[in-house]
Amino acid sequence: MTTDKKDSRFFRFLKLPMYLWTLVFVFVSLTYVIGLSFMGRGELIGVDGLFTLANYARLREPQYLKVLLNSLKLAALTTVLCLSIGYPFGYLMARLKPGARTVVLMLLIVPFWTNSLIRIFGWRILLMGNGPLNTFLQNLGLIEKPLKLLNTEGAVFLGMVYALLPLMIMPSSNAVEKLDYSVVEAARDLGAGPLKAFFTITVPLTLPGLMAGCVLVFIPSMGLFFLNDMLGGGKTLLTGNLIQNLINSRDLPMASALSALMLLVTGAVIALYRKVGGSSGQLSMF
Amino acid sequence: MKKNILSLVALLMAMLIVALSTLGLADEAKTLNIISWEGYVDEDTINAFEQETGIDVIWSPMSSIDEMLLKVQQSGGEGYDLILSSDYSLDILRQEGLLQKLDMSKLPNYANLNPIYLGQFYDPANEYVVPYVSGCVLIVVNKALCPIEVTSYADLWSEELRGSVATLDLSRVIIGLTLKSMGYGMNETDPAILAEAKDKLMQLYPNILTFGDNESYTALSGGEASVGLIYASFASLLLQENPDIQVVYPSEGLGFGVDGFVLTSASQNVDNAHLFLDYLMRPEVAAHNAEYQGYTNVNKAAEEFLSDYYWANPAVNIPAESMEGSEIVQNIGEAETLYTDIYTAFKLQ
Amino acid sequence: MKKKRIGSTLFLTLVLLFLYLPIVVVIVYSFNDNPARIPLQFTGWTTRWYEELFAGKGGYGSALVLSLQVALWSVLSSVVIGTLGAVGMVQATLRSGKGSRGDNLMESIAILPIMIPEIILGLAFMVIFDALGIKGNTIRLVLAHTTFCIPYVFLSVKSRMVSMDTALFDAARDLGATQRRILRDITLPLCAPAILSGAFLAFAMSMDDFVISFFVYGVGEGTLPLKIYSSVKTGVSLRVNALCTLMILAVFLLVAMNQYLQAVRAKKERMLQKA
Repeated sequence: MTTDKKDSRFFRFLKLPMYLWTLVFVFVSLTYVIGLSFMGRGELIGVDGLFTLANYARLREPQYLKVLLNSLKLAALTTVLCLSIGYPFGYLMARLKPGARTVVLMLLIVPFWTNSLIRIFGWRILLMGNGPLNTFLQNLGLIEKPLKLLNTEGAVFLGMVYALLPLMIMPSSNAVEKLDYSVVEAARDLGAGPLKAFFTITVPLTLPGLMAGCVLVFIPSMGLFFLNDMLGGGKTLLTGNLIQNLINSRDLPMASALSALMLLVTGAVIALYRKVGGSSGQLSMF
Repeated sequence: MKKNILSLVALLMAMLIVALSTLGLADEAKTLNIISWEGYVDEDTINAFEQETGIDVIWSPMSSIDEMLLKVQQSGGEGYDLILSSDYSLDILRQEGLLQKLDMSKLPNYANLNPIYLGQFYDPANEYVVPYVSGCVLIVVNKALCPIEVTSYADLWSEELRGSVATLDLSRVIIGLTLKSMGYGMNETDPAILAEAKDKLMQLYPNILTFGDNESYTALSGGEASVGLIYASFASLLLQENPDIQVVYPSEGLGFGVDGFVLTSASQNVDNAHLFLDYLMRPEVAAHNAEYQGYTNVNKAAEEFLSDYYWANPAVNIPAESMEGSEIVQNIGEAETLYTDIYTAFKLQ
Repeated sequence: MKKKRIGSTLFLTLVLLFLYLPIVVVIVYSFNDNPARIPLQFTGWTTRWYEELFAGKGGYGSALVLSLQVALWSVLSSVVIGTLGAVGMVQATLRSGKGSRGDNLMESIAILPIMIPEIILGLAFMVIFDALGIKGNTIRLVLAHTTFCIPYVFLSVKSRMVSMDTALFDAARDLGATQRRILRDITLPLCAPAILSGAFLAFAMSMDDFVISFFVYGVGEGTLPLKIYSSVKTGVSLRVNALCTLMILAVFLLVAMNQYLQAVRAKKERMLQKA
């Protein structure tokens, strides 16, 4: 046997566990969900095993459409707000002196390591009608009556931005760090204003990181059902809640159909991202 | 470089050792698995029981009755010994054959229970259920904030309450109370009547601020909601902390429920389960838990241990004349899906 | 120039404040002396939640142990699977000069778990485990967590591999080293930092996962996030806050230590380079 053959056999051996694992737990299980979405509700294990398109037909009912559209709208808004805060933050962070950057990076990582549910619980206390935020504003004399903050769509929106902002900051900052700043300086020397240099040089050059951030924020924001439970007063606002409700009322096929639809949206977003030149490596954040 | 790989190997080894050492910890012999809402039996009570018997109580928290039903039905009850949940759900479990009869000879304290809570639809022959507490769904009003006088369920539909009603999140209860506000019973199965109730219920949505026990409690406590449709337990808490909160017994009659323990047929710890149930029916223990939860005590022998505060609490000690016309949510079998569909449509508005 | 720096500092500070606001609340409430079943108001200072942290039934000991156990097992398996997979794929590409289509496809599928909304994966694991008859809680959690941990390790190791100097491998091969030897003596040592950072990230993700565990988990007290969720749903024990405060402290110390060590090492290297 030649060494080349031996080598490639060795590589195949290295890859084997990952191939197997991926096939069974990712490919088969997701395919299984898609399969369930084409079946009706049944007594045994929740499905009847007969092919039907009824679940997908039901997606057109106004009540489902409304939640789906609302979910997309919230996801899009979250992405835009995360972008407009996270990108400048990432940019400024990357331009800091090394020592200061280390400190800011550290401050960013720590919340990421603390349980996200408990942080959302912190928001819940903050936003209460007689909570710290309202008391503070009242003491300042800015408002007379407590504002209704908690249990609103706005609170859910805030929670989503809060939870996902670091996912925008990291890739942005990484991209800016890699940027060869002499190009920007050259543009400035040639007479470009700071804003023009920023938008014509910096932004295009860091676009991959920026897009990675958008993907990282947009996709999970469709499924964070617990945010809605904890900040939105339990009303059904997100597709994630809808799926959870359907699972609870034992409508697995319909839950699967919605999941398949979300899978499709996710696939479309990633395909779009790849099309404009993004790479999957950039989606690994750190 | 060598150092790097060495430290990596050391780290992996350390992790392996920790992971291995944590695997064989649980002692299977003296355990008792219970599924219910988190903290539904005071942990001091459970600690005392564990001290006394050496049995390790493992509490699986559930966040809703639906979630519990799903989990128990999926596993066939395997892994659970006792289930503490509400009346109609106990009936569903019983009818599906997931429960086993209790051994009354091992439950001498069963005699302590108040007979008016026995022999109910979910357990007509008193074989399966140990009632734990009872409670009503109450209307609470924050006098300082509420613009109208609320005396009935029908008042909840008032235009002036837009966005200010905090309610629990249970399809059967909310639809049941809607039916009551229209003069029907809580357990109607006639599709025509239910369709009528659906139309009525749909109009309630703009008034609702929050769904869910804890969400609604928070909204009432924080002064965001002025009217609540909540369980007695949460009403008790609110009464304690805010003098502006009042309890209203709706003129259409109250909806009430009983939460009780049942034993799964798959239970591996039958004796431990009986020990625990008998312990909970001791008068002092039962009195303590009813007060702790802010629900109505169902244990006759426990009454002498209840405090003055308990007797003065309008959320748990409800005058007999106000209990007239009260109803309990029952298992209605097949028609349940009608309720689920109505509720889904309601919540997806 | 000065004005710009003040503006930028102000912006960074404000955003960081936003990130830390709820954490401050969590920490302050961990000292809240409100014994109510749902303690929403701050009534006074106490340290009792710290003292009772692991005591008795409401303690968080078993949940923490389960979380750690699941995280360790998942990280362990995902480090092995993800590292070998990444090394195998990149090396194969280097040898043959181009990536195989099978590898590319497999990579896209393998990283799906961190791309798609978690709830889909939760549902998928729930139905597939039931279909396969996998019942034990720990095993269900470990299988699920391993699946979403693999991508973190894989991507981290892969990006390190790609940036490595391929001449090293060629030289070793020309000198007669077997691939096994190259793996042990060159690839793994060079990838160690990447493996570590992937492992840490995977660990954090596993410890924090709520959505997937929620659907996968069956009977028992639950992992830490599960217990926190049901506690927030049905009544809050401030012990959660105490526990989280301690965890924040531990993370702060760890991260700070790590940064300090890195700084020291960087300084040493600089000095060596000068000498």
